Order: sequence, then C-alpha cells, then structure tokens
Amino acid sequence: MFENPAPEGEPSADGDDLQPERLLALIDDETRGMKRALAVQVPVYYFVWGGAWLLGYLLLWSAWPGSTSPVAVPGWLAIPAFAVLMLGAAITSAAVGIRSNRGIKGVSDFVGTVYGLSWPILGGTVAAIGYALVRAGISDDAAAIYYTSAYALLVAAMYLAGTLVWHSADQLVIALVMAVAAAVTGFFGAPANMLAMALIAGPALLIGGVIALVRLRRM
Amino acid sequence: MDELDPVIHASARLRITAVLAALTAGDRMSFPRLQELLGMTAGNLSTHLRKLEDAGYVEVDKTFQGRSPATYLSLSAAGRRAFEDYTAQLRSLLGGEP
Repeated sequence: MFENPAPEGEPSADGDDLQPERLLALIDDETRGMKRALAVQVPVYYFVWGGAWLLGYLLLWSAWPGSTSPVAVPGWLAIPAFAVLMLGAAITSAAVGIRSNRGIKGVSDFVGTVYGLSWPILGGTVAAIGYALVRAGISDDAAAIYYTSAYALLVAAMYLAGTLVWHSADQLVIALVMAVAAAVTGFFGAPANMLAMALIAGPALLIGGVIALVRLRRM
Repeated sequence: MDELDPVIHASARLRITAVLAALTAGDRMSFPRLQELLGMTAGNLSTHLRKLEDAGYVEVDKTFQGRSPATYLSLSAAGRRAFEDYTAQLRSLLGGEP
C-alpha cells in the first residue's frame, strides 16, 4: 500500500502512495509551516518596541534638566527622536501584523483588528488624560512620571489581554514586568524614572524578542 | 485496519488539508495565500480543492473585495474530522496510539 514517495509539492495523482512516516512528516511540515507563517511577526514586535523604549527613554532622560546623564542631549533633538521611535515602532508593528495575517478572515481577523486598534485608542486616552493634568497645572516632573508610568501600564494591560487571547506565557511575563515598572519607576522621581523605565522595559522586551525568535526557529 | 481515506490520501490534498486544519476554527484563508503557502500552481490547487469540496471536506466562500472576486477556503466539520481520523490511522499504522 505504501510505496514510492511522490515529490513534495508536485502535482499528485489520486492515490499516490507514500510511507506512513513520510505522510506524517508531510502533515507535520505543513502544520509547522503554517504556524510559523502566522507567528513570524512576533519577534519583530518585541525588537522594535524594546529598541524604542530603551533608546527613547534614555534620550528623554539625557535631555531632562538635572539629569545625571554623562551625555547631555538637547531637548529639541530628544523629544522628536522619542516621538519618531514610538511612531516608527507603531507603524512597523501594524505593517508586519497586517502582512502576516493577510488572506485570513474570520475569528482571528476580528480579534486582531480589535486588538490592533486598542493600542492607538488607549494610547490616545493616556495622552489626553496627561494633557488634562498638564492643563490643570501639574509640574513637568509630575507629568514625566505620569506619562512614563501610564504608558507602561497600558502596555502591561495590552500584554495581559494578549496572554488571554493567544495563551502566551511570554506575554504574561512581559505584562508583569511592565506592571512592576509602571508601579515602581515613579518613586525614583523625574528624570531617574525614565532611566529606570529604559533599563527595565527595554531589555525585558528585547529578551522577549530573542525568546520569540528561538521559539520561531524551533517550530 | 480500515482503508485510508482516498480523498485525503494524495500528497497535494493532504498538504492542503493540513494547512487548513492549522487555521483557527472559524477562520478562512484566501486562495492566493493558500497557494503561496503550498507553492502550488493555481490550476493544480483548484483541481485538488474541487475534489475536497466535492467530498464535503472544504467549504468555499466566494465573495468580493471591492470589485474583485475573492475565494476563501476552510475545512468543514467533516473535513476536520476526516483529517483527524486520517492522522490517527497513520499513527496507529506506525504502532503508536491512534
């Protein structure tokens, strides 16, 4: 019953006979290939956001008055650079997410769209609350603590949501690290909170990227 | 030992079924993405999809994206069950747990 294997990917006549081991390997190859195609963007998310948080908050810390940074970066450079890093990470994430899910409709499409749109919606909410606080007269240092911690809290909440949706233990670990960073960095005061955030969130996300890459290669 | 399902027991249709089985239940995949993942020609893929559809294993959803026609494919409940049975039979043939 099981005889000459047909070339993989070649048109196969009905009833072409393969060994059971070969058939199971064929199924395994396709299943892993499909899972890899749907997960290929995950390390990209971690790397671009890890880089953006690490570099972005280091720049802001270096530019803040009273910073102990050995390199003084002018504010006119640090603030736009921070904005470009965050915007670049957001655009890259959206682009790779859309690309990896192209051609797939249904439950995942809906979940992915809602999850993807939640980031800018909640990010805008955090910014609006911060703007209201600044208008109400909070100091620059208090605003720095608010924005830094509130965005880390947003990331923690979104990664918790990601844990529930995609059953990802990696996302749970990142969510907990970000929640701790949101909770504790404010106690360092500004601008040290930004240095602390850069050194906690950045490496956590970059390590997450390395782990995601290793998992992807082992699929 | 029952005969292996002749609809799935052809490498091209087995590969198609395996890819569609890896989709989350409730999801559908477009014809071009399936073609890209499998590296098959459009004609070859269409031929095998028709056989799977005739057997009731694949559901074909023809729709429009703007003005362009688009075809989305998914495994039916019968197709998913047939794939699981087929895999279990193979494992059983190899002496493992079905």
